[in-house]
This record gives sequence, C-alpha cells and structure tokens, in this order.
Amino acid sequence: MDKILAVVRREFTERVRQRWFWVIVLLGPLFFGGIFILPTLLASGGGVKRIVVVDGTTSHLGQRVAEQLTQSKVFVATSIPAGGRGADTLTLTDDVSAKRLDGFLLLTDALVDSGKAEYRASNVSAFKAIGTLEGTLRGLALSVRLERAGVDPQIVARSQVRVDLDSKKIAGGKTTSESAAQSFSLAYFMGIILYMAILLYGINVMSSVLEEKTTRIVEVLLSSLRPFQLLLGKVLGVGAVSIFQFLLWGLSARVLIAQRSHLLGSRATDDAGQVFQVPHVTATTAIVFGAYFIGGFFLYSAMFAAVGAMSSNEQEARQAQQPVTMLLVASFISMFAMLNDPGSTLSVTLSMVPFSSPIAMPVRWAAGNLPLSEVALSLAILFVSIIVVTWIASRIYRVGILMTGKRPNLKELVRWVRAA
Amino acid sequence: MTTAILVADRITKRFAGHTAVDALSLTVPPGVIYGLLGPNGAGKSTTIRMIMGIYVPDAGTVSLFGGTGGLGQSERVGYLPEERGLYPKMRVLDVLLFLAEMKGMDRRAARPKALAWLERLGLSDWRLRKVNELSKGMQQKVQFISTILHDPDLLVMDEAFSGLDPVNAQVLKETVLELRARGKTILLSTHIMEQAEKLCDSVCIIARGKKLVDGPLAEVKRMHGGRHVLVNFDGARGAADRVFADRQLVAKADVSGQFAELELAASADAQGILQALVSSGARLSRFELAEPSLNKIFIDLVGPEAATAAARPEEVARG
Repeated sequence: MDKILAVVRREFTERVRQRWFWVIVLLGPLFFGGIFILPTLLASGGGVKRIVVVDGTTSHLGQRVAEQLTQSKVFVATSIPAGGRGADTLTLTDDVSAKRLDGFLLLTDALVDSGKAEYRASNVSAFKAIGTLEGTLRGLALSVRLERAGVDPQIVARSQVRVDLDSKKIAGGKTTSESAAQSFSLAYFMGIILYMAILLYGINVMSSVLEEKTTRIVEVLLSSLRPFQLLLGKVLGVGAVSIFQFLLWGLSARVLIAQRSHLLGSRATDDAGQVFQVPHVTATTAIVFGAYFIGGFFLYSAMFAAVGAMSSNEQEARQAQQPVTMLLVASFISMFAMLNDPGSTLSVTLSMVPFSSPIAMPVRWAAGNLPLSEVALSLAILFVSIIVVTWIASRIYRVGILMTGKRPNLKELVRWVRAA
Repeated sequence: MTTAILVADRITKRFAGHTAVDALSLTVPPGVIYGLLGPNGAGKSTTIRMIMGIYVPDAGTVSLFGGTGGLGQSERVGYLPEERGLYPKMRVLDVLLFLAEMKGMDRRAARPKALAWLERLGLSDWRLRKVNELSKGMQQKVQFISTILHDPDLLVMDEAFSGLDPVNAQVLKETVLELRARGKTILLSTHIMEQAEKLCDSVCIIARGKKLVDGPLAEVKRMHGGRHVLVNFDGARGAADRVFADRQLVAKADVSGQFAELELAASADAQGILQALVSSGARLSRFELAEPSLNKIFIDLVGPEAATAAARPEEVARG
C-alpha cells in the first residue's frame, strides 16, 4: 500500500512540475472561454448593423420597414427608392465590400404578394439579425395584406403581438429555471470536457508506461512491487493530476464567468443570453459527471496502459493506440447526433455501451430528463467492464512490459492474456 | 553451518521456442561474493530475474533468507539489472528517494542516507539536477546508490561491471568488498573471468541454461585444476616447444608468446619439466606451480558451447 502511494506521489509531483501541465491549466480557460464567447460574438454579429433598404414596392413600404428595423436597435436602416441614386446593386455591393455598409435589403411587391425579399450582407449567419429581419418583414406583409382586405389599420396595429418564447426544462418533476439553451450548452460542454480529459490523461498513462519500459527502470520496479500495484499507482496518480487540473479549471471558470459581463461589455451579454447561457450545474449533475469521468478514465487508461506496455517506442505506441482512440472519437462524434434527440434508440444504446457511455450518458443527462434507473444500469455495465478490461489489460501489461522487439499481433496478445 | 542466503532449486524457465534456464540449482552462503558466470545468452539474466521474482519459474523454487522467494523479501535485496535505467527527467535526489520507497524505506529516513552516498561518490553538487543532465558514468553511480541505499542483506548485480570506466569499476569493487566485510552477501553475474577471479569467493558456471560447475572458487580450481605450471620465457625459447609437445610430460599447453600455462601429464613431475626446459636451451624468468586461472577453467568447460551460444539470437525478453 505504501508503495502504491509512493507511485501515486511520483506520478503526481513529476507531472505537476512539468511545464506542459501549467500551459494546459492556462490554455484551458482560454479554450473554454472561446467556446462561450465566440458564439456570443457571432450571434451579435458585431453590434448594430448599418443597412440600406432599396424600396422597389409600389406602395412605398421601404420607409416603414426602415423605421421598424431601426426601432429594433439591431439595425440602423435607411430607405432609398429603387432606381434612385446609389440604389443599384453594384454600388451597394461595393459599399458592403468596403465596409461602409453591413448589407442591403431588396424589397419589391413580391414581399406582399408572395412573401419574398432579398437580403445581401457580409454576414448572413448572425441569426439574431436575420430573425429580426424576418419578423419585421413578416409583420409588415401581414399588415399590408390585411389593410388591402379592408381591415381597419387600427385593428391591425393592435393585433400585432410580439411573442417571446421562454422555454423551461422539466427535471425531476419540477420545472426549473433552466432554459433549453442552457441544457444544450451544458451537455455540449460536458461532452467536450469528458472527451478531452479522458483522451489527454489516458495518453498520459500510456506514455508513462512507455517511459518506464524504454528506460528499463521497470525492471527495478518490478523487483520491488507487483505489476498490478505499479499500474494501479500510475493510473491513480495520473487521475489525481487530472482532478487537480479540473479544480484549477473550475476555479478559473468561476472567475471568468463572474467577470463575463465585464469582459464582453453590456451590449454582448444581452445577445449571449440567446445562445449560450452559463449552465446551472446541480449537485446531481456534478456527481453524474464525476462518476462517468472516473469510470471512463479508468476504462480507457487501462487500455492505454496495455498499449504502452506492448510497444517498444513512441512510434509503435502511436500506431497501436489508434483503435483505442477511435473508440473515444466515435463516442465524441455521436454526441452531436445525441444532442438532437437524446431519447433515440441510438442515444440510449450509446449510453449503455461501456466504451461510449462515459461521454454519452452525461450528455443525455444534461440534455434532458432521465430516469435514475437508466443511469444506474449504465454505471453498472461500465463498472463490470472496467473490471474485465483492467484484468485483460494488466495481463498484457505484465507480459509486455518486459518484452522488447517486435510488437505482438492479436494472436500473441491472446496468448499473453492466457499465459500471464 | 549457517543458513544459506539464497537457494534455487531446479529452477526452469522456458520461452517460446527454447529453454532459457534448465533445472538450475545453486546455493549462496551468507557473507560471500558469489559469481554467476557464463557466456552471453547462457541464461544468467533469466536466472537472476527468477531470483528477483520478476519472472515466475516454470518449475522449481527460489528461497531467500530461508523463506520463500519473490517480492516478499524484496526489501532485503538490492538489484542492479543488466540494462541500467533511471527516470531521465527526474531530479537525482528524487529518483533515489522514490526507489528507496519502492524498497519499503521511509522517505525521511532515506533522505540523509541518499545525501551521504551522493557525497561519498562525489555527486553532491548534482543532487538537484535532472538525471539526463548527468554523464553516463554519473548515472551509473546514481543507479548503484539506488541499489544499496536501503542497506540490503543481499545485493544482486547483473553484469555488474559492464559499461563502467576503470575509475567507476574501482569504486564499485571497493564498495562491494566493503559490503562483504560488513557481512552482506553479493551475487553478481559476469562473463569477464579476470574480475570474477579477483572478487568472488564462490562461483557457478552455467552455459545454455545448465549448470556446469559450482562451489567455492578454491574448490572449483582444485577440482578442475590438475597440476598446472606457469612459465615465462626470458627471450630465448630454445626447443621448449618440443618439451610442450611431449605427452609424457605435458598433457595440455596454452602458449602465448613469452608465456605458457601447462597442465602436467598424469605421470609427470614438475621438476622433470623444469629440467627438460633448461636442457632444451630455454631461458626462463618464471617457473611456477599454480592453480589454473578461472578463465582457463571457464574456456575448458564452455569453450565449444560459448561459440554456439553467442551465435544464437538473443532470446525473447532478453532473458
């Protein structure tokens, strides 16, 4: 036991002392900050947009459109008649290229007749801007049609209602204040962190095994403790480093989120709320996340350790790790499908299969309401798999760690597992 | 008779395709320097790994200090493997403390001892440097410290002197002799017979995984010696070669230039050879009745096999 602790301590102190650890500690918040801030900036699209409304309608709707758009505070719009000075699309396109304008809206009678209009701009993916534009045009086209049908303009004006849909998530039989956007971002965020952490620290275990093998120090170690003790100490040590890393990240995330409005300015926070809200992490969510991180880390590090033990150098290890990494990457990619439909058969299956459940289940958990029994079943499967995989991996480790020469093929691996 | 420190009883280890060690038995008494001798690929390292509990023998048992072998006794054993290695990125002192912990020592207790050893071997100024900043020779010293830091009762060194420069080899030899003086037991493997002859009290010679001979060095020499004469010429050899060729007098002659090692024929008498050499006109600067060198015994025993063993590819796992 003392020896395992000594191995844990060595792994921990040597890793924390290394420069790359602190580089990742510092880069982490920048990266995650980017995940939060970028969509915000994209959504707000850089603030108020200057556009020109080219009015080609016979009823001169351009002026009304420009007024309403300007009122929305998303645009500053001016209306010019089609065919007038500076109203040809070539000149306007030049203006957009030269950044004198953000875009222009081409209105014709088709707006009222068939609901068609054209918007040309340097950025058409800013969905708040597009949303405002569509809403305004739809309302206007509706009013004009109603007026033409003889409805009193007063009634039309009064019947205009702006709907602001506020979605709430139901969790544990209670309606929480969490919005759909918050759930989405939490699931997305947890998926990314789990994927990165399991991969990063799994590979850390692998290179640590490989280092002891290539420097031959493993022989001295194995004359003092059993291979399983060494492997266990190593995995626990690297695991402790990763938890330490999370603590540091958590701390900086707190600071970052607290200072968020400060960093972005009041303008952007308003828009940010539309897309990426700081998720509300409950204690249960934190426990689910933690349980799957630890489970996933153990499962994958056992496999990575076996890969390290059966390779003789970095190059071999890089090749041999690919099947293991692919398992993880596949789970990560399927996360995006699961976010769309957390209840689908695919999602449920992935959250039960032990190799993908460490990412899949937390994502499903965060995205929607899940019965605890499903989580318990998935955890049980994961737990049993950890025991089986570790048993196999430690056998490969035991034989492989003293081997040099060519990498074993599958048949030889099976023999190792049987012989050890 | 005191209990043997180490008893290996018919230990066998097979690897895919061949038997590396075949029913090998050896007994190491306490307080001696014991040499495990053999050509490359004879099974020395595999034997030592079984003794250290790194390999489990396919058959046979190892007993250390009268108890069962393996990891249970690892705290009382120091091990210097054939292929040396330390953590390259760790600081020298940290490596020593970690390896001492692996041998069950308390970190705080290990610290002053490690510092004392570093001081003694002239590495004090390097204690906070990383291992990979040290020269090969210095790394060897650090590794040697790590094997004796926990004051083991049995020190096992595989190819103890390989890769050491003369100065370091001398330091190592002195330390080993000092350990023996303090009642410790040392098991070392080597294929350099001159070193074994100077250091070892007992030897075991193996080839192709099998034991050829073992016992106290003097006994091995007596058993395999017969009667030996060492001759040095002083310039003129006269007709000495004719004397050497006379099977009535000399059973075997190992002649190299100005030196010859002779084995007397069964019926011959050393005085008769001396007479014959003098009358043959040879000028002698030395005529000595002697035991055979370990080197000669070794070559006599494993000579033909040594060549085949060396030509064979290294066994799996560098056993």
